[in-house]
Amino acid sequence: MKPLAVNLSLSIGGTIVIAVLLFALFGTIVSGFEPDQMNMKNRFSLPTAEHWLGTDNFGRDLWTRMAVGARVSLTIALCSVAIAVVVGTTVGLVSGYIGGAFDLLVMRIVDIFLGFPPIVLALAIVAALGPGMLNLTLSLAAIFWTEYARVVRSVTLAQREADYVTAAAALGAGSARILFREILPNVIGPVIVLATLGIGTAIIAESGLSFLGFGVEPPTPTWGWTLSYGTRYLRAEPWLSTVAGLAIMITVLGFNLFGDGLRDHLDPRGVARRIKSAPRQ
Amino acid sequence: MIWYVLRRLALFIPLILGVVAVTFGIMELVPGDPAAVLLGDEASEEAVRDMRRSLGLDRPWWIRLGSYYADLAHGDMGISYFQNQPVTDAIRQRVVPTLEVAVVALLISILIGLALGVAAAFWRGTAIDATSMLFAQLGVSMPVFWFGILLMYLLAIRFDLLPSIGRGPPLAGALVEAALGRPAALLESLSHIAMPALTLGLTNAAVISRLVRSAMLETLGQDFIRTAHAKGLLNVRIIFVHALGNAMLPVVSVIGLRFGALLGGAVLTESIFGWPGLGQLAVAAISQRDLPLVQGIVLTFAVAFALVNLLVDLLYALIDPRIRLE
Amino acid sequence: MLKFVRMLISVGIAAAIAPAAFADVVRLGADVDSATMDPRIQRNTTEYRVNNLIYDGLVQLNANLQVEPGLAESWENPEPTVWIFHLRENVMFHDGSILDADDVVFTFETILDPDLKARFRSLFTPIDTIEALDANTVKITLKEPYAPLLSYLDMGIVSKDYVEGGGNIQSTPVGTGPLKLSNWERGSRISLEPFEDYWGGSPNTDGFEFVVVGDNTARAQAFEAGDLSIIQSPLSSQDIGRLVANTQFQNEILGGLGITYLNFNTQPPLLGDPALRRALAMLVDQSTIVDAIYEGVDQVATSILLPSSWAYDASIAQPGFDPEGAKDAFAAAGWTDSNGDGTLDKDGQALSIVLSTHSEDPNRIQSLEYIQAIMLENGVDASISIADWPAFSEGVRGGQHEIALLGWLNIVDPDRLMYGQFHTGGSFNWGGYSNAEVDAHLETGRSATDVGDRTAAYQAAAAIIANELPYFVIAYQGYQVFYTDDVTLDPDARGMMRSVIGN
Repeated sequence: MKPLAVNLSLSIGGTIVIAVLLFALFGTIVSGFEPDQMNMKNRFSLPTAEHWLGTDNFGRDLWTRMAVGARVSLTIALCSVAIAVVVGTTVGLVSGYIGGAFDLLVMRIVDIFLGFPPIVLALAIVAALGPGMLNLTLSLAAIFWTEYARVVRSVTLAQREADYVTAAAALGAGSARILFREILPNVIGPVIVLATLGIGTAIIAESGLSFLGFGVEPPTPTWGWTLSYGTRYLRAEPWLSTVAGLAIMITVLGFNLFGDGLRDHLDPRGVARRIKSAPRQ
Repeated sequence: MIWYVLRRLALFIPLILGVVAVTFGIMELVPGDPAAVLLGDEASEEAVRDMRRSLGLDRPWWIRLGSYYADLAHGDMGISYFQNQPVTDAIRQRVVPTLEVAVVALLISILIGLALGVAAAFWRGTAIDATSMLFAQLGVSMPVFWFGILLMYLLAIRFDLLPSIGRGPPLAGALVEAALGRPAALLESLSHIAMPALTLGLTNAAVISRLVRSAMLETLGQDFIRTAHAKGLLNVRIIFVHALGNAMLPVVSVIGLRFGALLGGAVLTESIFGWPGLGQLAVAAISQRDLPLVQGIVLTFAVAFALVNLLVDLLYALIDPRIRLE
Repeated sequence: MLKFVRMLISVGIAAAIAPAAFADVVRLGADVDSATMDPRIQRNTTEYRVNNLIYDGLVQLNANLQVEPGLAESWENPEPTVWIFHLRENVMFHDGSILDADDVVFTFETILDPDLKARFRSLFTPIDTIEALDANTVKITLKEPYAPLLSYLDMGIVSKDYVEGGGNIQSTPVGTGPLKLSNWERGSRISLEPFEDYWGGSPNTDGFEFVVVGDNTARAQAFEAGDLSIIQSPLSSQDIGRLVANTQFQNEILGGLGITYLNFNTQPPLLGDPALRRALAMLVDQSTIVDAIYEGVDQVATSILLPSSWAYDASIAQPGFDPEGAKDAFAAAGWTDSNGDGTLDKDGQALSIVLSTHSEDPNRIQSLEYIQAIMLENGVDASISIADWPAFSEGVRGGQHEIALLGWLNIVDPDRLMYGQFHTGGSFNWGGYSNAEVDAHLETGRSATDVGDRTAAYQAAAAIIANELPYFVIAYQGYQVFYTDDVTLDPDARGMMRSVIGN
């Protein structure tokens, strides 16, 4: 029997995620405006029959810009999480499987990255590489990958000694085969859950970096920029930041609820969580 | 136990060496010359060159990194280019305010997190469960700077309840005053801390409430609880003695893991509330290319993070004797 | 949860009582903290403003930038290269010692010493020697006539004995000014208290604080919440309309001492042609930028000369916003859309331009975004590049930019905005501009002592610049200040606060 809240989380979260994806994919087609089309005579308009979400500080159609922004923000979030997952999982698998001095070394590197306050590391990397979508994605990946490396390593360590792995090894299965056929399937669950939750974190991080002036360059309509501009106009024109803020909040909420529901569904006994919170070596 | 602690402390050495090297490498790649920023637009090329020389920036990178390590071994973190004082002094002035907010934020998040988590677990599957979990999720879903500015608008301007910016009297001193029967300083100190701490604490409250909820559910489902229930022991007792005790484990561990996020969140919160902490200093140091200061701050963060995690692991073993330290 | 609510309520009561106790201290919101209290090496605006209260210069600039006596009661200029200053007698430093000519000599000699790394050293390099003729007379000899000198002599004078005796002037300043430092909580607030033995009479204040709030919007909110009594530029223009509408607050706008401009890289290949620069300038909609983005605080600029300057001439004008005219101007310069792709081209090359600015100023980013949109509409393939200040300024200083949006501040004399910027090989001539005629005018402007001659020289140079456009000046920056009713303030475009304390 699943508790009611689990099903609710999954279904509400799932609905929000699908709605946001649909909005990102088809939002611009139905609006009839170009995202960069300015109209300085119609700035900060509230929603009208023509502009469904009103207009921004340059009189551009907010619906269109939020839709394009959804694409940009989701691309950054998905790609940075994807890179972090691939790198983190590989590092965690190999490190946990090989063990010994190699593992010790890899974990020290992970420690070093964990030691940086996340936003400071992202800030410094964007400053080093210059702003832009790709660099922002890379800098977010650089702060996310350690989480996956640690979780996957813990699972791998535990699985390595499991009976079926020892059995496979005794039957002459090679390392690669054991890693990918036997161990990988066991880490996928926790990784998917973490990744879903990570997408929300990435969207929030993007907005924070934009607020500090390190976001994607304009006129790319990222949500972070819209919220950052909107916050500066907060008192006189509260609508702009409300739209951007709510869009971010609802989307992050959707991914988090979905991830939470997924966690309870895939991992009702909280394996991923307990591994995460186990003492570090 | 002693050996475990010593071994963990020994690992600080590669951590420090590594953090310094990574920070150094990134700052090498960052374009922008501290000497030029320091001297401003109206400086000649020659003056900038002289400045680079006097800052020691004309030396090759391996010598600079090497001499940084050598100085660090003597506890010397160099002199900040922009603050005109030793990095250790600059950090010492800022670390206490940051810790003040971090600690209060942590208390707030534990308080809110426990309340929501317990309520959700106790009334599992009801509207109360769904509402508290949704409420907790909202906290983690809002960009910090947006929430901070909204909060400031509401509490400081609209309702004029709290001072909008700045820091009150130092918290530690105010606590002593209060203990001696003079609570005015403490109240003023807390009134300044409240908003930044709430802004910072909300994210963690969400994480904690989720952990508390599932840890409690797990405990409540266990046989001994059912037995207790069957014996007619009060629900409240069950919750607070057995289940909550069990739920403290993940809460303690999350404090360690989230500590980094807490310090990182300080970067945004401090610049909104004009809080004189390390976070604001970190942004300024990076945006001025104040290399020794960036190094010093990152190192402070990293060591603090590692120390907190060591403490958390020790605490963990203390709370749950089943866990053995390797 | 209940406990938390209770805490909030008790805290609210405390907050309501707290401010009353300090009501007589004036609190100014500052965007950055000071890093030093030594006026000789001051860099940022807060240092400039704090040091102005702690120290005195030989002269003072009043709110209209006219030179008035400061520590020097009077001065004479017997030859174009010789200045003699007569100091006030019995002026006391905060530590009780008496100011004499040696302190003045020491201050400027150390500024000129490259080891001190004074940011404003270049303003004083035309000084050849500075010597004390007696305890109260100082003689400055120049290498060549240098008219702007006097307006830079508001530099604070430090105590030689204190500095040489090992006093830490960086953090515990000793000056002769009306206020002295009482407490400096780094990153948060600088508290000043009255210096009762001030030579100009005891200051009319209980105390003055600089409170540091980095974010412009947060600073404005703190002012509205009653936690600050004065805020001033830089403000977020988005807050200004609301603050102006609030009748509880006093507010003044002055023409500032800064410009916001486009720096064209005049080096070939692309922007070497003045005709192309003129055509591009016609696509900059200055009035919309000033009204919509800067909320009317700034003024549409017409030339490199500031309206507040004695050299100003309204008839000198750069090209204005004229997209139709721009089309003809592009065509005349050889740029047309020959392949019909919507982008102008010449000799098979499309007109692609990178516009750059720095990430710290959202209004500059918005301005650039707006300029880009109009350029794109008119067939110029413009893109935007944004980096933080150190990275951006390194690129501009190295002449790697195409069109950069930035500004100059504190232009108390036209020389300061023109000599280094437009003279061939000038130290801030980042766009590589060179025109022999302009060079000659700028040299005349610097060395002539007669204001009429200087005016003529600068106007002649400005007319050429308005036509050839190494700079396109978008706006004259305005200076705005808001203050509460209990503050008396005579606004000063440099943001100096002497009028608040009655000195």
